[in-house]
Amino acid sequence: MIAIAAPTRGSGRFWLAVAVLILAALALLPVAGLALFVWWGPVMTSLQLGPTGHTQMVNTVLLVLAVGVLGALLGTANGWLTAHCRFAGRRWLRIAQLLPLACPAYLLAATLIDLGSRHSWRIHGLGWAIAVLTLTTYPYVFLLSTETFAVSGRRQLEACRSLGVGPWGSFLRVALPMALPAIGAGVALSGMEVVNELGAVELLGVPTLSSGILQRWQNDGDPQGAVALALVALVIVSLLVAAERQLRRRSRRWLMGSGGDGQPPWSLGGWRAALAQLLALLPPLLSLGLPLLWAGLSLDQLQGEPVDELLALGSRSLGLGLVAAGLALAVGLLLAIAKRWIAQPLLQRLSFLAGMGYAIPGTVLALALMLIGGPWQLSPMLLLVWGYTDRFLAVAKGGLDAGLERIAPSVDEAATGLGCSWTAVLRRVHVPLLRGPLLVGGLLVFVDTVKELPLTFALRPFDFDTLSVRVFQYASDERVGSALMPALLILALGLAASLALVPSLNHSGSVTRG
Amino acid sequence: MVTPRFQSLLMAGALSLPGVAALGAAVLGLLDQPARSQPLEIGVYSGRHYNTDKELYREFTRRTGIRVKLLEGKDDALIERLRSEGNRSPADVLVLVDAARLDKAADLGLFQPARSASLVRDVPLSLRDSRGRWFGLTRRVRVAVVNPRLVNPATIRSYADLARPALRGKLCLRDSKSVYNQSLVADQLILRGEPATRAWVRGMVANVTQPFFTSDTPLARAVAKGDCGVGLVNTYYVARMLAGDSGGADKALAQRLRVVFPNPAHVNISGAGVTLASRNREAATKLIEFLASPSGGRGYAEANNEYPLQGYGDNPILRSFGTFRSDGVSAEQMGARNRQAVTLMQANGWQ
Repeated sequence: MIAIAAPTRGSGRFWLAVAVLILAALALLPVAGLALFVWWGPVMTSLQLGPTGHTQMVNTVLLVLAVGVLGALLGTANGWLTAHCRFAGRRWLRIAQLLPLACPAYLLAATLIDLGSRHSWRIHGLGWAIAVLTLTTYPYVFLLSTETFAVSGRRQLEACRSLGVGPWGSFLRVALPMALPAIGAGVALSGMEVVNELGAVELLGVPTLSSGILQRWQNDGDPQGAVALALVALVIVSLLVAAERQLRRRSRRWLMGSGGDGQPPWSLGGWRAALAQLLALLPPLLSLGLPLLWAGLSLDQLQGEPVDELLALGSRSLGLGLVAAGLALAVGLLLAIAKRWIAQPLLQRLSFLAGMGYAIPGTVLALALMLIGGPWQLSPMLLLVWGYTDRFLAVAKGGLDAGLERIAPSVDEAATGLGCSWTAVLRRVHVPLLRGPLLVGGLLVFVDTVKELPLTFALRPFDFDTLSVRVFQYASDERVGSALMPALLILALGLAASLALVPSLNHSGSVTRG
Repeated sequence: MVTPRFQSLLMAGALSLPGVAALGAAVLGLLDQPARSQPLEIGVYSGRHYNTDKELYREFTRRTGIRVKLLEGKDDALIERLRSEGNRSPADVLVLVDAARLDKAADLGLFQPARSASLVRDVPLSLRDSRGRWFGLTRRVRVAVVNPRLVNPATIRSYADLARPALRGKLCLRDSKSVYNQSLVADQLILRGEPATRAWVRGMVANVTQPFFTSDTPLARAVAKGDCGVGLVNTYYVARMLAGDSGGADKALAQRLRVVFPNPAHVNISGAGVTLASRNREAATKLIEFLASPSGGRGYAEANNEYPLQGYGDNPILRSFGTFRSDGVSAEQMGARNRQAVTLMQANGWQ
């Protein structure tokens, strides 16, 4: 894509290419293993979907589309309103947008169903699934878009203002086009998340491809068929992502410096302010408030897990989250940088494909890793961390790609012209400029890992339960009281991680000053 | 495999990214210290998740000196894991819930026969595999729960009664993904043959006008609240509600329910077997013997309000349900008919 002159000559760039090849190979190995597995399977299974398969396909597509559209609207609206409009409570509401990240979709679905069944409401079906998944995935769009809104083009907005262009005009004609790559990246992430969401859709009784895959594998005893279905799902997602990239190609803008911090330019009053407050308040209130309300109502059934057990569960979740975040960021950064510097089309494509692990259902990725890990006797822990990194690479990389697109190539050229090696350019120019996306990406991977289920479930070693594993086990045994404490701890970890982001939200202007 | 990962770990540090990876690894390193010096240790994969189970395993260690490593998970996932690990699996014992899953694991060749006089003595013939590959440890019954204000409990005498047109709009069911329902249908296939079972499933499905439930507890609640007149659930879900495990409100709800044992009743099990990959066959058999013995089995059953292998136990809540007559279908037979049952349910509208 950005085919600029290589910043360095000689061996530095060569080693970068080698590193990218190795990393991409590691990321793609599980998928390749799956393809071979289907190909060499004992029986070539038919991909006949049948009526149930058809319903699963339709439901999946409907979910992805509806959640994508709703999430894009909600995320972009809140991203813009809390970045550039002035209304009472704006700062708090801006921070509150991070709260939904703390709540896993399966937990929200389980609490809704449990609360509902106490009041004779049937919480069931596609509509509820769309609502739950929109609430839990829109922060991807919010985070990536608002970061762009905040850092890019404040000067352009000031120009709009002096030229008499109103808030709507400057949003639609200036800010939105600049934020499209970030919004696209957010929607793509939420789409992948939706495609392999399992817990929530199963609980809500919505047959989707991901549940079909699991059923085909574990109930019908047809792993080849399951993997083949998963590969079909993967193709669908790849097409979606490719379309999204094609779309945003047309709207590339580079950030040409930014203005100071200052007050947000557009002031809202009266019903407009009330509407903005409502829009920004409702999603965090629902996604965090419902589990808390449920916890409050269920306090009488709280069954204490021993404290040391809770501590052990919590520190395992914490440790895995940190490892996964660090690895995914490092790999993501290298891939994103290589894509920018090395115009080689093969590497470009590899770098893109390497991020597709997010679209593979966790259960299938786990199967792939077991197939690889078995013959080579790899330790379960290594497989687990490999799985996390592979799966959440896209989360780290999406924001980095979008962030890099905003940095004009002339910056790299200037640094190289001044004699910096590629590592120095990376360290002294890009990492400081990318602090926002790095932090956002790290947080998202961390929270996703803490909430992650299928990989952890399938690959963890003996005596190594995590919080999410415990919550899911208890919840699937329909023992709400026992699930309560670990669930609250997941929320707490997610909240702590979200709060770590607050400084970057508040001072995002400084990101570009590096 | 290790080197590039390690490289990227170093890079994470070198690029002055938050040294998070290293920190996380340190946290994990502290916790992931398997005790290697223990003389004898067996690995258990278990589909049960009760803290009291761990207490039982500790009791076993006290008695025998054999340490137990535990991995709990969903039954089907554990089967797949064991399958993909093959001969290298670290699991010696596989504990599964539901006869169909035990039979599936046996069919996949994941168990080896265990020869044990005490198992043959403690586990009734109908609750274990005829070739000794797995043994039942606890029993549960799939019963009708009735709201007496909507449906006269006396009209439900058998599973067949649930298909009567008088229950139209009053019957609520969990979906056909539930292995408990699958085993019930398999059980009826054995007792009544395919045509009668098909007619029965169709009749019940015609009576169901609400969406199928995805779990038992909300189903029991819906019956208690009068949203449904009658439903099918496992005994321990009602017992749990009555014990107050899910709070006072649920307890009050459950007290409105009438538990009706269809006569004869479909009895299902949770059970365990020694894995084919086990290198500690003797120790693994010892654990299963302990869990099937009256003392060990009692703890296993009590943890989840289940019936022990023989008799009714002394759980007062289970006692209050009264007695039941088992239909005598063996767990092994049910497992063998699981696939046929699933196909029949799906073909006849049981979602």
